[in-house]
Amino acid sequence: MTKFGKLAVSAVALASAVAANSAVADTLEDVIARDTLIVGVKNDYPPYGYLNDAGETVGFEVELAKYVAKELLGSPDKIELVPVVAANRIQFLEAGRVDVIFATLGVTDQRDEVIDFTVHYVSAAGPSVLMPEATTVNSWEQLEGQPICGIQGSYYNKKMTEEFGINLVNFKNQADAYRALKDNRCIGFVFDDMTLQKKLEEADWSEYKIAVAPYEFLPMAGGLREDDPAFAEAVNNAIVKAEGEGKLIEWETEFGMPHSDYIAKRAEAAAAQN
Amino acid sequence: MFGLDYSWLADPAYQNWLVTGVINTLELAALSSSVAILIGMLGALGLSLRVFWLDALIEFFVEVFRNTPPLLQMLFAYFTLSTLGLKTTDPVTGLEVPLLSAFACACISLSLFGGALAIEAFRSGLETMPKAITEAGRSLGYSRWARFWRIEVPIASRVCLPSLTNILTNLFKTTSQASVITVPELMYYAGQIYNDTFRTLEVMILILIIYVVLVSILSYGMSRLEAYLTLPGYGKGQ
Repeated sequence: MTKFGKLAVSAVALASAVAANSAVADTLEDVIARDTLIVGVKNDYPPYGYLNDAGETVGFEVELAKYVAKELLGSPDKIELVPVVAANRIQFLEAGRVDVIFATLGVTDQRDEVIDFTVHYVSAAGPSVLMPEATTVNSWEQLEGQPICGIQGSYYNKKMTEEFGINLVNFKNQADAYRALKDNRCIGFVFDDMTLQKKLEEADWSEYKIAVAPYEFLPMAGGLREDDPAFAEAVNNAIVKAEGEGKLIEWETEFGMPHSDYIAKRAEAAAAQN
Repeated sequence: MFGLDYSWLADPAYQNWLVTGVINTLELAALSSSVAILIGMLGALGLSLRVFWLDALIEFFVEVFRNTPPLLQMLFAYFTLSTLGLKTTDPVTGLEVPLLSAFACACISLSLFGGALAIEAFRSGLETMPKAITEAGRSLGYSRWARFWRIEVPIASRVCLPSLTNILTNLFKTTSQASVITVPELMYYAGQIYNDTFRTLEVMILILIIYVVLVSILSYGMSRLEAYLTLPGYGKGQ
């Protein structure tokens, strides 16, 4: 066989292997063989996933990820946490760099077209606007034409510019956006309500308030690759088990979140089912 | 074709974003390239005067702006200069706001970065001048200034055109980093579009083509200029 022929055969073999892989993905098998669950989590997003003073990644969703690892592999430590941001988490998942993402992922139709969701374990407030205490602004309509800081890649950015006519000034990360707000480069910062609420607890931010309340509540879920039924079932079972044991309510307390009716109701339903 | 989905291009919001992005990229590239060329010429002129303190000053400028990443320069200009006191009072709100807008910060740092590289390019052009030519000028009675403007600059600018083309194409591509400080250029909107649509590959391919086309137009123009200005017997004049 010529060198070129060999190359062609191996290319075809590789291509069919890839094709086979994407047709019947079985992440569960891979995870068990590897004995580690690789999870994409946030590390800049209290209370869901953030770095504590010791530099460890902790948070509501990190606890959930560890619980799933415990259910699948027998130990919460058989886990590798990969920090992701809104702009790359779906790409990380699709590229196979993580098995599952628990990264403040809101459930939207557009996302549903490219990935699968786990059960919806949180109902999160959408974006609100952080502004200086003195502002008289209290509705989205009043922000028309105003410079508002935001984050590049946020799902609501198009709505902000096209529907509310806001002049968005979008940064790559939160630290830059907070800094720009303090520098008065924008008159407010539009971001996930829960995170902004937590920010207000910090001493530096006492002269700021949530001026505009969220316009929607969005269920949050873990993200899975499409057509991966065995893994999806295993992850969902683990989450529902955690709900039934009241773990999510414990984590709400642990990470200083207000107790939500949504989580309480899901816990009741899950406990009844078990 | 190849399973690529470009249906998102029909959305007027995305069309708008792409057009605005291209315009901002072009503006940023045009402004910073012009200023960079100007800085390059003035710097090389300064160096040719052989004044000790001016040489030191220009060399210091070149070392600082050529040896630091333009991204760092932009972030520095955007976040640090206002803290250091470059502020103004907004007449409408009465608040203290940074003097330099994001676009100004990007433009300044790209101009200085490109300018530092251009100084070196123009200097190399001046320094390759054959001694015989300047001596011929001197024997014909040209003064130092007349030699500089009428003999050295016309020859040197032709010699350094290829490296200037390199610098300008590089500068054009570096404008994409301005998205970090919120300048809404092509990459800024590209990121938002693929985050909305998850058509990362399709958006990337389109953006790639746009950059190739724009930079090709620039380098074609530069090569035409090179051909037009060619010295008989050198390069394209052979």
